[in-house]
Order: sequence, then structure tokens, then C-alpha cells
Amino acid sequence: MPLLPETNNLGFDRENMVKMRNVCKTYVGGVVALDHFSLDVRRGEVLVIIGPSGAGKSTLLRCLNGLELIDSGSIVIDGIPLDKNEANQLAIRRKIGMVFQSFNLFPHLSVQENINLAQRLVQKKSPAQANTITRDLLHRVGVLDKAMRYPDELSGGQQQRVAIARALALYPKIMLFDEATSALDPEMIGEVLDVMRNLAAEGMTMLVVSHEMGFAREVSDRVVFMEQGRKVEEAASAKFFSQPRQARTREFLSQIL
Amino acid sequence: MIFWLSNSATALVSVKLRQLRFSLLHGAGNTALSMVFVSPRTISKAATLRDSILFLLSLVAMLWLVLRGAGQMDYSWHWQRVPGYLFTLEEGRFIAGPLLQGLGMTLAITSISMVVAGLIGLLTALLRLSASPVGRGLSRIYLEIIRNTPLLVQIFCFYFIMAPILDIGRMTTAVLALSLFEGAYASEIFRAGILSIHRGQWEACHSLGLTRWQGYRHVILPQAIRRIMPPLTSQAISLIKDSSLVSTIAVYELTMQGRAIIADTYLSFEIWAVVACIYLVLTVSLSILANTLKRRVHGAT
Repeated sequence: MPLLPETNNLGFDRENMVKMRNVCKTYVGGVVALDHFSLDVRRGEVLVIIGPSGAGKSTLLRCLNGLELIDSGSIVIDGIPLDKNEANQLAIRRKIGMVFQSFNLFPHLSVQENINLAQRLVQKKSPAQANTITRDLLHRVGVLDKAMRYPDELSGGQQQRVAIARALALYPKIMLFDEATSALDPEMIGEVLDVMRNLAAEGMTMLVVSHEMGFAREVSDRVVFMEQGRKVEEAASAKFFSQPRQARTREFLSQIL
Repeated sequence: MIFWLSNSATALVSVKLRQLRFSLLHGAGNTALSMVFVSPRTISKAATLRDSILFLLSLVAMLWLVLRGAGQMDYSWHWQRVPGYLFTLEEGRFIAGPLLQGLGMTLAITSISMVVAGLIGLLTALLRLSASPVGRGLSRIYLEIIRNTPLLVQIFCFYFIMAPILDIGRMTTAVLALSLFEGAYASEIFRAGILSIHRGQWEACHSLGLTRWQGYRHVILPQAIRRIMPPLTSQAISLIKDSSLVSTIAVYELTMQGRAIIADTYLSFEIWAVVACIYLVLTVSLSILANTLKRRVHGAT
């Protein structure tokens, strides 16, 4: 059973889902997070972004769904430009699901209510419709038995799987994972990666910031290595790990592998 | 002498009130505060006993001082006349006396003011946190004016200036003045509560495509309000106590009724003691109610 409706599973349709051109982002205080950064992501592609901390990886994801405003350059998501127009911003956010390092579940709502909330408010679904989708998603990420529990009663791995289900409930076209496994105990990383792996297999367009090199090698189509807001190297994943071109990439890989 | 004695009597009551409030508000497992204050459980039994004895001793000493003072000035107690001012029974029918009528008025004024002050506080907090410079400026001006002038002066301004202009009655004036005053403080509590919610909650709201209002309504405020229940309760208690000030514009609430009775009867000691006790019962009940409510909602801490 696929996690997604079939419209997302168009393997032959390879147009750009994400188009970033010369994006610059400097934080207050002068830290340069993105320095003339350009990136294309095709439909159904799984892109893993790696790099040392402070490289601008998280900023890259946060700019894509408008959590951070860019200083210059342009971003187009699935044909919609990300600009000052609030309707465009909302439309883009509704196309993109995001999973955070710290889960960010709503602690005052049960697991089921967490996943129902946006379906009710954004998609105006009836409680019954929302419940059906929620329970289906919870079943697929393996935490259906926790539907009535509150987030603080769940393990980290379970919380992150609920967070993924919450993002999927709106049928996003792109999923962003911002160090989704970095806050987890080692034995829980696997269960979250499994969910991500299934999602990739079903053809979801994914941008993954991660330190999980095994996942990057096995699941991703392409790897981008960035540092100081710039792209150092970009290659198909097999090639990236077997024949890195840049000296800096080799140095980084030798340190973390 | 009378002044000193009545002061010491109210001081006694207010000390007791503060202790009760402290234990009610902070003693019952508020995690944030028990880290700052010594948790009741860590105090040894001997220390508890010693504290209790000291407390009782000081209570007895106070009582003795009051009684001795009263004895020296030949004050004759007339406690038997007090119940008549609370209520009378005529042919088995219960008739509220002036003090209970005053209590009713106090309850009416404070409960309406609490709701209005809450709304003003929430609105002001949202304006101060908004992106609009006009909204932020207006709320700032309101806060500075209210918090930097005495409540009594505000009540007089409303009564002598605003009330004739707007053509509103004493009761409305009282509610308006109290609501605007407490609302300013409530807004700072709301603002602190909203700001205390982790940034990630907002980010989750945005990433799910919720609008700003939906985020406030369904995610941020429900969490913030649970977190600010203790300070909001304190503010409500302040409101009850501050409501006694509207007696100055002849609103017949509890304090005004007490003053009227004393003007007729000179029963200063008995009536003020009873009035203080009624306020005490009100404020303590409110604390207990707030604590019960707090324990019943999930994720309150």
C-alpha cells in the first residue's frame, strides 16, 4: 500500500519541483548562511544535503518553505514563485511537508488530534474524513496503537514518526527532513529511517539534511555537499561516495565515515 | 490608637492571606517555582513543627496585643450585632443583610471585570506582538499610562471626567476602570506566556500551512494559557482586592457597605474583621478553584 496518493507517483514526469537561483541569505549579525546558492530538484528525486554545522543546510530547507525570508535570488516551487505574495506563500507551504529535528509536535493535543488539526483547518475536512486518513497514516508509520496518547508519552522515535505522518496528512508534493534523526537515541534511528526509505520508494520528492551516510548512499539519488553557504560538490550518490572530486569533500567524508 | 489597632488587625489578616496564597499557588508542585523556592517535601518534620509553633505563637501574640489595646481603650465588643448585618431570618425566610448584598455587588463587579480584563489583556498582548507599528504603539501607550498612575486616581478620572462625557453609571464606570487597570497587567502575563512557547511550535504551524490566527487559536494560546494560570490567578485575586477601591465612588460593594455600617454604628473592629474575612474566603476559594482546574487539564506544566 503506498503512503501517498497516486498523483505523486509519476515516475516519468521529471520536471523541476524546486528551482533555486542565486539565493542569498545573511542573518542579522552578519552570518552568511546562503551565498548565491542555486539548486534544482526533479519530481520524485531524493536529495541528501550534507556538510559541517553552520554550512547553511537547515537554512536552505527553511528558505524553501518560507520559514526564513531570502535576501536575494529566486525560488520557484512546483511552478509557484516564493515571493512577498502571502497567497503564494501559503500555497507553497501547503505543498511542502517539513519534519524537524526536535519533532515540534503539539504537546497539548493527542497524537490523533496533532494529525487531524491541519486537515481540519487547512483542508476543511470533516472530523470523520480526517480521522480515516489519520488512522491510515498512523497504521503505516506503525504507531496506530498510540493514537489517543499525548506526545510526551511516546518515545523519540515514535514522536518523529507521528511528526512525519502529520506532515504527510496534507498530501505534500515535497518533504523536507531537517536532521530528522539527530535528536534520537541510536536504536530509534532505524525505525524513522525505515519510514523515510518507504516514502522515497513511493516516489516522494525529498530534501534530506542528514548525517546518516548509510541512508544517503542507499536511498538518495543525488548528494550535495555544502560549506559556508556554497555548494562544494554535487553528484549522483554512487559517484559522490566512490569518486569525490573535491579535496574538501574527501576530507569531510574521511572524517565522518 | 484606633488606627494602629485596625492596621495591625488587617496586617494580621493579610499576612495570613499571603501565607495561604503562597502555599496554595506555589506549594502544590509547580515545577518551575519549586526549583527556586525550597520544596515543602525537603523540609524536615522538626523544622515544620518549629515553624508551626512559631506561627501559632506570633498569632497568639498579635491577638493578645489587639485585645490588650482594646482593653486599654475600654472597647466593648459587640460581636452579637454582626450577624444581623450579614443576614436576617424573618418567618424562616432568608434575607440578605447589607454585607451579603455588598458581597453580591463585589462578585458582580469582579466577575464582569475579570472577563473584560482578560479580553483586553489578550488583545493588548496580541497587538504588542503584532507586526503592525500602530498596534504596537497604541498598546504601549495604554500600558504605560495605566501602569504608571495610581488606580485610585484612574477611578476618579473615570468617574469625574469620562462618566459624564460618556453618560455611564457608577457600576459601569467601576467595571471599566478595574478592567482597564487589571487588563494592562494581564496583557503582560499573556505576552510572557505567548513568548514562552517554543519557536518550533510556530514553525510547525507555518509548515502545516496554518494562518497566524489559526496558530494562535489552536496551538499557541491553549499552551500559553495553561502555563500562565498561576500568575493569572494572582491577578484575579488582585482584582478582587482592588475592587474595594470603587467604594470611593459610592458603589455599594462589600467595602462600601462596611463603611456605611461603621458610620452608623461605630463597630469598626467587628465589621472590618468580618469584611476582611469575607475577602479572604473569596480569594482563597479562587486559588483552590484555579488549582483544581489546572490539575484537570493535560500538559499543564
